[in-house]
Amino acid sequence: MKKTLLAFPLLWLLTGLLAGAVPAHDLYLFGAVNIGGRVIGSRDTAKNGVYVRTAEGGFAHRGINYPAMLTGSFDPRDPRVFHVAALCGVLTTTDGGHSWRIGTSWDMTEPKSVMVDPNAPDTVYAALPDGLGVSTDRGHSWQRREQGLPARGKYTQVVTVDRTSAGRVFAGCETGIYFTEDGAKNWRRVFVTVDTVTDIRQSPHEERVWLATTQSAGALISRDSGLTWAGVSGLPADQALYNVAFDATTRGRIAIASWSLGLFTSEDGGATWTVRNAGLPANHRVWRNAVDPDTGRLYAAVDGEALFTSDDFGHTWRRDGLETSRIQSFVFVPRTQP
Amino acid sequence: MKKFLALLLLATVAVAQPSYEAPMPGPPPDTRPDTLRRAYLERVNETLDWYLEAIDPAKPLTREQALVKLVRREDADLASQRILELLAEPQSGDMFWMFPWTAIAFAGRDQLSPEARAAIRDAWRTYFPMRGDTENHWVMYYSSLFLMTELYPGEPGETWFNGKSSAENHAEARDFLLHWMDIATTIGQGEFNATHYIGEYAIPMLYLATWSEDPAMRQRGRMLLDLLMAELADNTLHGVLRGPNARTDDNSVIQRWHALATYFSWTMYGHIPPPPHYGGWGIYFAIAAAHYDPPPLFYRIATDREYDREQHDHKRSRRRWRYSDVEMMPVYKTGYIRRDYAVGSYQGGLSDPIQAHVWDVTWAVPDPRGVHNTIFSTHPLSSSRVLQMYFTEYPDWMIDLLASQGKPSYGVPDKILSCSPYEQVFQDLDTIIALYDIPPGIVHQRINGFFSKDLLDVTEAKSGWIFARGGNTYLAYRPLAPYAWEDLLGYRQLPRTGGSGYVWERFRPEGEVDRILVSPHPQNGTIVQAASADEFASFAAFQAAINALPLAFTLQPTPAVKFTTLRGKQVEFTYGAAPVLDGKPVGYTSWKLFEGPHLNAELGARKITISHGRQHRVLDFNTVTTTDYVTP
Repeated sequence: MKKTLLAFPLLWLLTGLLAGAVPAHDLYLFGAVNIGGRVIGSRDTAKNGVYVRTAEGGFAHRGINYPAMLTGSFDPRDPRVFHVAALCGVLTTTDGGHSWRIGTSWDMTEPKSVMVDPNAPDTVYAALPDGLGVSTDRGHSWQRREQGLPARGKYTQVVTVDRTSAGRVFAGCETGIYFTEDGAKNWRRVFVTVDTVTDIRQSPHEERVWLATTQSAGALISRDSGLTWAGVSGLPADQALYNVAFDATTRGRIAIASWSLGLFTSEDGGATWTVRNAGLPANHRVWRNAVDPDTGRLYAAVDGEALFTSDDFGHTWRRDGLETSRIQSFVFVPRTQP
Repeated sequence: MKKFLALLLLATVAVAQPSYEAPMPGPPPDTRPDTLRRAYLERVNETLDWYLEAIDPAKPLTREQALVKLVRREDADLASQRILELLAEPQSGDMFWMFPWTAIAFAGRDQLSPEARAAIRDAWRTYFPMRGDTENHWVMYYSSLFLMTELYPGEPGETWFNGKSSAENHAEARDFLLHWMDIATTIGQGEFNATHYIGEYAIPMLYLATWSEDPAMRQRGRMLLDLLMAELADNTLHGVLRGPNARTDDNSVIQRWHALATYFSWTMYGHIPPPPHYGGWGIYFAIAAAHYDPPPLFYRIATDREYDREQHDHKRSRRRWRYSDVEMMPVYKTGYIRRDYAVGSYQGGLSDPIQAHVWDVTWAVPDPRGVHNTIFSTHPLSSSRVLQMYFTEYPDWMIDLLASQGKPSYGVPDKILSCSPYEQVFQDLDTIIALYDIPPGIVHQRINGFFSKDLLDVTEAKSGWIFARGGNTYLAYRPLAPYAWEDLLGYRQLPRTGGSGYVWERFRPEGEVDRILVSPHPQNGTIVQAASADEFASFAAFQAAINALPLAFTLQPTPAVKFTTLRGKQVEFTYGAAPVLDGKPVGYTSWKLFEGPHLNAELGARKITISHGRQHRVLDFNTVTTTDYVTP
């Protein structure tokens, strides 16, 4: 692992120099290493939780060792303030991860995703396995807002906020995609599924275009700001798709990860798809993928193996460290001065 | 827990013969309260002594040895030094870290050096334990947090790992504990009859009862501990906890003695040897056990097996996050115990996704160590969707994950530890009828019947019944569909060459092996009838009596049985319909929280009466009072 990590900075620097620019984003990873044998209560002192890409291109652990951090969302006014969906609830840091406070209590647990409203950044949404939590005080306290969600059937895997309008939010649940326009005061279902919706993302190029992945309905696309959804052709629906990532640098480039099937890419806005597992391990269980908004570099977190990167959108891959890891999410954070 | 036990096994120990290796214990000289109390404390002290006698002067103290030193008020300087060393290392273990360090903090609060006490306090700032995802995790987590924030009140959020102040953490912990205690005493415990996890409730309750500054929480802890120990007494057959079990494991489900629950049977009642090394975690009960006084009433419930009794309890499943119309399935648990055997079940369905055991007949043996004294059948369900109901995880990796995390049997077809939505069970006294209706596409399409190596005279009769003897118990097992026999293979952990996690291989145990009756038919059923050998002139007479019992069944389109039991009860049981007993449908919805000779409570009443003969103890969680009385 050390060898790979040492080799990585050179490649990263080289890529950066070729790109001719200092990255405009910091990359945060949420996940754990040495995942295979861990159960809750294990004696395991590996550093887990938040990793930050260093200036040299490696990854440095940040803050507490917490093996079950899933994803984070950052306050656009101050990237030192971010909220993390962790096994015990929503954790908030105001100093870049050095100190933390859990804002949720015992009655909210195992949030699966969390997102700051970029247009009302005191407001944070959390996808809960039994509904939806909202904080209006930067994660200090939380309330449930579930009017319109079903009494049963509201397991929520993902919550995503529309960057164009405050309080416009989508929730990916076990029974479909739910939508609110009033900051979660009222929800309505805009698409029905029989299994969990795993991810919902807004296109960086066209704000009205959204993509979603599901457990058993393949991928979905909306071209009307999420009000209606349709299946994406060319992708299997018999296995779960875990997440979708747009390439902000190149219109039309999209990647989708699947633990069972590997990695799919499209370079024509989703009209056609190609499996991009060549160069990944035979056990190409891609837990998560992401595209660097500065360079277009494609990341694939191959579960239990390592992090893999591709600078040609999946045509070729290289192993880039974080051995035996499960990377739960990649978050690119704009570099702004607090 | 496995690593902990492995470390213990590696330790070179030269101590007096521990009770787990000693002959079977005899009864106490008398059953006066002071005699029982003295014997209880002797067993507690044996556990403590075992840890002290295992100390190797050439090696550093283990955490447990340091704790026992403090409990015995010996060598506080040595314990302080060792605690500083232990806390200088990176910490891990989550709630399994929290309660041991809570115990050390309290046991050492007036003995440890200021440096050691400061190191303990600071560890609660720097190490962030996970809260976990099961009730036992939460009970350990919040009990520890409750006590530690009482030990360190009035401190700000930055001094605690989770950023909340002492007051905030204390209030949150109290809220959860009261919530858990409330549902446990109104609709029943979730992880009921757990062979190992009983410790993860009993230890925190003992700590609350021992160390809380809040008299109400002390009392509640003691009352919950009473309830756990009374249930254990009532559910054990000569100290052996039998099914059903919300959670057990591949070993304990067949070698019923080999469980942490047995440590509690031994400590409380002394009528059975403890498990090896006192169950590993047993030491964490022993260090505060002197603060608990097991009521002699419980001793009598545990040891009196001279009359037959049936107990009905209301429990609940683990919490379901998704793909279910109900958050928690009600569990209707039946227990029937006689001197020679016990029969237990719940109605079938999913109570816990990976470690539940639905029903069995367990027979008494002179010495249960190494004996597989049980018989049952199960549908070896392997379902990603079912796992998703209970775990907040993605669909297609959990089955692999379970094996890599130390639960190797979940996905295998010959597993014997399982519950299933396609199994429905009816029990009346010592008769069990289990029906199976497994839809196409469900993994696996078979039924596994467990037949112990310790059964004698296994006879496959032309009538279709299989007869056997276990101890002084006669058993009749009727598979309703054709079957074949397989040897039950074990699981052996292999060293891993790459990646992480456990890797397993199957192996054939040496000597006599258990067998499984494999019936590869999705519409299926099992009938088991037990009886005491004393009831019949011979084993042949028992067989003749069983063969003469009226039995009619069909498997298509839906399994259905009409059977007259050995006790003369007429049972009609159709898969998907309420069982009919002597012409009356069995209505589970009227079941109480507890109903039987020893435990009684109305559903939702928060008031439990524990009885044996004329002696009674009432645990009233409404008034937080315990009342003992004797009926004239």
